[in-house]
Amino acid sequence: MHPLPYHRPTSLEAALELKASLPGARFIAGGTDVMVRLKGGAPRPSALISLRGIAELTRSEVAQSARLGAAASVADLLAIDALREGWPVLADAMNQMASPQIRSSATLGGNLCNAAPCADSAPALLVHGARVVLRGPQGERVLALEEFFAEPGVTRMGADELLMSIDVDPPEPGLQTTFLKKKRVAMDIAIASVAAGLVMNDGICTHVRFAAGSVAPVPMRLPATEAALCGHPPTDARIAEARRIAEEEVSPITDIRGGADYRRRIIGVYVERATRALAARFEGSE
Amino acid sequence: MEVRFTLNGREVSCSLVGSELLLDVLRGPLGHRGTKEGCGKGECGACTVQVDGHPFNACLLPAAEVEGRAVTTIEGLAPAPGELSPEQQAFVEAGGIQCGFCTPGMIMASKALLDADPDPADADIRHALVGNLCRCTGYAQIIESVRRAAALRGEGS
Repeated sequence: MHPLPYHRPTSLEAALELKASLPGARFIAGGTDVMVRLKGGAPRPSALISLRGIAELTRSEVAQSARLGAAASVADLLAIDALREGWPVLADAMNQMASPQIRSSATLGGNLCNAAPCADSAPALLVHGARVVLRGPQGERVLALEEFFAEPGVTRMGADELLMSIDVDPPEPGLQTTFLKKKRVAMDIAIASVAAGLVMNDGICTHVRFAAGSVAPVPMRLPATEAALCGHPPTDARIAEARRIAEEEVSPITDIRGGADYRRRIIGVYVERATRALAARFEGSE
Repeated sequence: MEVRFTLNGREVSCSLVGSELLLDVLRGPLGHRGTKEGCGKGECGACTVQVDGHPFNACLLPAAEVEGRAVTTIEGLAPAPGELSPEQQAFVEAGGIQCGFCTPGMIMASKALLDADPDPADADIRHALVGNLCRCTGYAQIIESVRRAAALRGEGS
């Protein structure tokens, strides 16, 4: 690949100034999507502006809540004990992303900004109600992750903005979570995926979250499926109803990796499996 | 633009126009051709090198990003000319090599695993090598090679 001008600013201000002064330039973080697309013949930007040297973007703070630096590598995030312990579903999803080599480079921010329907980190973050913090010339703004994705490959981030961090609140007390990903071989991107979160009190589902990947133009929450279970005990009939609703709630396409009907089936199966597995974790604890 | 980094323990520098990839810099101006280019898209792992101990696909990594960092390639493993590192020795002994094209990347990914986990279970070995493709061996001997490498490293320490 013929080299492009490459800038490596070390401050956020410098990065935003470079972006403003270089028409047609684009930001690059881990490069595991950008480089592949450039090699594949995608339109060449006038320059690349690396975000990897900016401490404000690579730093994470994880305690009761988490602020994850958008340009932190997935491997660096996975090395944070408090993140794995506090938000295990996110760690599980990140640990299934591609390969160790890719996880060393790839960033959480890049996984989201790439806005692929199959972004592995998105369903887990949606289950936790994550927010994204954006910074541009006009200052900072915060969006719910659900509102961040517009369509495949497109976010609601402005051309002059960049993603600063991904913010996650403390998990609900007692929350149990799981991530299920359908793929053919280990390194595949998902044919369909479901992240789920459940809290039960006295045998009743009091907090229910489902999010799905690879089954709609963008990673999505499944609010109707959640409503079918919330406030009820997870009986066979309720779970069957949730499964039926989930299959209707998604809008998958048929592509090289799987058919639309197959994807619907997988989502239904995963909603049932996740619900049963999570409900079982509350048995005997009450 | 000039990039300076440590390559297999030696300070090196190289002038860059811009976004040149580490793989091209290693194989070109720095003359280290042990690191292979397979797919060029981060899928086959033939270009795996270690940067500060972590495995990276050199085919996707701009060389400018390794400024000031320590890069290890397959050439940096042998303790002395004519000798092999435990990982290299294990791949020879257990038949983890046929055509050899994937081998430098396989060994670098295996070394990164063993540096982090000296005694991995088979599942951990498989998980660590999902980003490395081999079209010859069928992987069984490669898994065995990594087990053997773990044993050899244990003996040596």
